[in-house]
Amino acid sequence: MSVLELRHVEKRFGEHPVLRDVSLTLEAHRVACLIGASGSGKSTLLRCANLLEPIDAGDVLLHGQSLSDPRVDPNLVRREIAMVFQSFNLFPHLSVLDNVLLGPRYALGRDRAEAESEARTLLARIGLESRAGDYPDRLSGGQQQRVAIVRSLAMRPSVLLLDEVTSALDPTLVGEVLDLLRDLATAGTTMLIATHEMAFARDVASEVLFLEEGVIVERGTPAQIFDDPQEPATRAFLRRTE
Amino acid sequence: MTDSSEGTGPDPARLYLPRRKVAFAGRRGTAVSAVSSVAVIALLVSVFFWAPGGANVRATFFSFHDMWVAFRGDPSKGLLSVGSGLITNIWMFLLSEVLVLAIGLLIAVARVSRSPVLAPFRVLATLYTDVFRGIPILLVVYIIGFGLPALSLGAISSQSPAVYGVTALTISYSAYVAEVYRAGINSVPHGQILAARSLGLTYAATMRRVVLPQAVRTVIPPLLNDFISMQKDTALVSTLGAIEATRAAQIYSSTVFNFSSYVVAALLFLVLTVPLTRYTDHLIARDRSRRLAGAS
Amino acid sequence: MRLTRLTLSAALVGAALTGVVAAAPSGAASTPSLASCKTSIKSQEHQKGYLTVATDSPAYTPWFVNNKPSNGKGYESAVAYAIAGALGISKSHVKWVVEPFDASYAPGPKPFDFDINEISYTADRAKAVSFSTSYYDVQQSIVAMKGTKIVKAHSPAQLRTYQYGDQIGTTGLAFINSYIKPTKPARVYNTLDEAVAALQEHLIDALVIDTPTGQYMASAQIVDKKNKPLAVQVGQFPSVGEHYGLLFQKGSPMVGCVDAAIAQLRHNGTLAQLTKKWLGIYTSVPLIKP
Repeated sequence: MSVLELRHVEKRFGEHPVLRDVSLTLEAHRVACLIGASGSGKSTLLRCANLLEPIDAGDVLLHGQSLSDPRVDPNLVRREIAMVFQSFNLFPHLSVLDNVLLGPRYALGRDRAEAESEARTLLARIGLESRAGDYPDRLSGGQQQRVAIVRSLAMRPSVLLLDEVTSALDPTLVGEVLDLLRDLATAGTTMLIATHEMAFARDVASEVLFLEEGVIVERGTPAQIFDDPQEPATRAFLRRTE
Repeated sequence: MTDSSEGTGPDPARLYLPRRKVAFAGRRGTAVSAVSSVAVIALLVSVFFWAPGGANVRATFFSFHDMWVAFRGDPSKGLLSVGSGLITNIWMFLLSEVLVLAIGLLIAVARVSRSPVLAPFRVLATLYTDVFRGIPILLVVYIIGFGLPALSLGAISSQSPAVYGVTALTISYSAYVAEVYRAGINSVPHGQILAARSLGLTYAATMRRVVLPQAVRTVIPPLLNDFISMQKDTALVSTLGAIEATRAAQIYSSTVFNFSSYVVAALLFLVLTVPLTRYTDHLIARDRSRRLAGAS
Repeated sequence: MRLTRLTLSAALVGAALTGVVAAAPSGAASTPSLASCKTSIKSQEHQKGYLTVATDSPAYTPWFVNNKPSNGKGYESAVAYAIAGALGISKSHVKWVVEPFDASYAPGPKPFDFDINEISYTADRAKAVSFSTSYYDVQQSIVAMKGTKIVKAHSPAQLRTYQYGDQIGTTGLAFINSYIKPTKPARVYNTLDEAVAALQEHLIDALVIDTPTGQYMASAQIVDKKNKPLAVQVGQFPSVGEHYGLLFQKGSPMVGCVDAAIAQLRHNGTLAQLTKKWLGIYTSVPLIKP
C-alpha cells in the first residue's frame, strides 16, 4: 500500500491557482523528487501534503486513509509526515539537543531519558553529538540543516518531506546535507523531496516529477526524465538548469 | 589606502589627529571628561547660589534638616515617614508586576489566537486593551478605589486603598503589557510556527514551547520600561488615602510649609528606579551585541 | 470646607503656643497705631489702591457663603471686610483672588496682601510665611455617620481603635496622629470632598475637623434626598491652643497694621459678634477627650 497519496489536489491562493489536478503516489521506502522552477508549486504541494495548507479540492491519503475526513486530527497526521524547510527553522532559544527532543517530548509525550538517548544516537549519526548543548546560531548552515533533518527523524515519521533543503546553503556546505539524504535513502527512508539538485535527484530518486505552474507536466524514472524527456516544457527546463 | 613605503604617499604627519583631539583621547580623555562633568554640574548648582531667590529655594527645597525629618517622620507632630511610605510603594508594585505579567500574557495570547472557539475572548481582549490604554490611570484608580467600595459587596468592597490601587494599576498596565507581549509574539518568524506545527505540536504547545519563550526574550527591555513607569505610578494610589512616599511627603510639606520632603521622595524613587533602568539598558546592549555577533 | 491646616505642635508646645499667640508674631517689631496705618497701608499694598485678599476655591460654608468671598457673608469674608474697614479701606477697594492652599506657602512673591483660608499658625510654618495674630481659636471635633459605633463608644481607649480619614495638610489630620494616635493609620485624601465620600461609603469611621465646619457638615452637607442629616457631630475636643491666622508673604510690612486692626476688632467686640452671627449656631457641642 502507498504511504502517501495525493488525488486530484487543487489549491488556490485567492483567484490564483497554485496546484491543478495534482496526483502522486509514494510507496514505502521509495524516494520521489519534485523538480521545477521557483514558484512552480513544489513548496505548496509539500505543505498541502502535511496539512499545513488546506486544499480546495481533491484528497490526501496517508496509508490509504483520507485526510479530508473531518474527524482526522491534523496534529496526529503531522507526526507521521515530517517536514524539513529551506531555511532550517531551528528553534534559536533551544539547544541542539532540545531542538531534537521538542517533538518527541511535547508532541509524542515521550519520557525524557529515553527520548534523549535516542536523540543523542541520531546526533552521533551526523557527527554532531559533541554539539548537543550548543545553540543553533553557533552551528554552520550545513550543520543546522542536518540537525533540522534529525529533528524530523526523531519523530519516526512514515514519510519525510524536504523543501529545497540545500537552497539556502553556501555551496561548500551543500555536499554534507546531500550525503546525509543519500544515507537516509539507502537506509530505506520514504521521502518526497523538492530540489534543484538534478544530479542528486538522478542519484536517489525512484521517481521524478516535473512541475510547472501547478501542473505535473511529466513523471518517470530519473533515466526517463533526465535522459529522454518527452514534453517540450521539461526539455526547456532541463536545458536551463544545465 | 595609503602606501607610505613608496615615499610618494602623503606625509605621515598629515594622518595624525589634531593635538586637541589627542588630548581628549585615552586616559587623558577620561580626565578631561571628568573635569568637564564637574564643571557642568558646578555651573548648574551655582544657579542655586547666584539666583536672587536661591537662598529661599535652598531653604525650602534642600533643607537637610527637613529632608531628614521627612524621611524619618515625627509622630509627635503627626508627620509620617516618607521612608516607610516607600515600603507601601514597593509592595504595591511588586504585587502589581507579578499580576500584570500573568494577566498581560493571557490577554496577548487571547488576542493573537486564531481559534474560532476563542473568538469572543479575542474580541474582549481587543476591547480591553483599547479601553484601558485610553483611560488615564488616575481615573481607573478613582473608579476602582471609590467605585468598588460603593457596591457594598462584602470582601470586594472592604479592601484597603492599597489593594484597590494594586487592582487599578494591574488593570491599566495589563493592557499596555499585553500589547508589548503581542508585539513580541508577532516578531517571532512564521517559519518557527510552521516548524513546530509540522512536528505535530498543538497550537497551545507551539505557543508555550516555541513562540512565547522567544517573544518574552525580545520584549524584556520594553517590559522593564513599563515596570519603571509603574513603579512611579504607585504614587497615584495616594489619591485613595493610602499613605505612600509621595503622600507622606505631601503631608510634611503642607504641615511644615517646606518642600524638602518632595526632594526626599524623589531621591527614594530614584534609588528604586535607577537600578532597573540601568539593568534595562544593559539588557538592550547585550541583546544588540548578540544580534550583531549573530549577523557576522 | 477646607481646613484647619497645621500640625499641632504637640503637647509640650501647646501651653507655650497660647503665650506666643498673645505675645503675637513675627512680622513687624512693634504694633503701629491704627491711625498711622490708615496712611502707611496704601504704600504696602500688593496692587496699589486695593487690598488684595486671597482664599481657595471652592470656599466653604460657614467661612464663606455660596463660594462667593466678595459678598461679605460667612465668617472669614466678614472678618476680611472688617479688617479693611478698620484700616480705612472701603468695601469697593477690597479685591478677592483665588489662591490654592498648596500654592500659598510656595517660595517666591505672593500675588496677594494676605490669605484668609482657615490656615492654622505653627512655629514651623512661620519659618516659611508670616502670620497675623489669631482671628479664630480652633477646636477639633469628630464627625461620623449616624448609628455607627463611634457615636456611642468614644472613650480615649475606644477612640484609638477606629479607622480615621482626613484631607491632606489639615489640623484634623495632625490632631488624629498626634493626640488620638489610632492603631490603624489614618487615610489621607486630596480634598475634603473625597474624605466625606469615604466617610459615607464607610471606608473610614470618622473625620476629625474644626467644630464649625464639622457641624455644618453634619447638619447640612451629609444629608439624604429630603435634607435629613445622615451624619452626626459626635463631640469636640478641648482646645490645644490652635488658632487661625492670616497668611502673608514672609516679612510682609503689612502684618503690623493688620494685627493692629485685629486687636481693635477683638477689643471692640466685632470678632465676638461675627462669631455669633456666622458661627453662632455652633455652640452646643459636647466635649470629649482624645
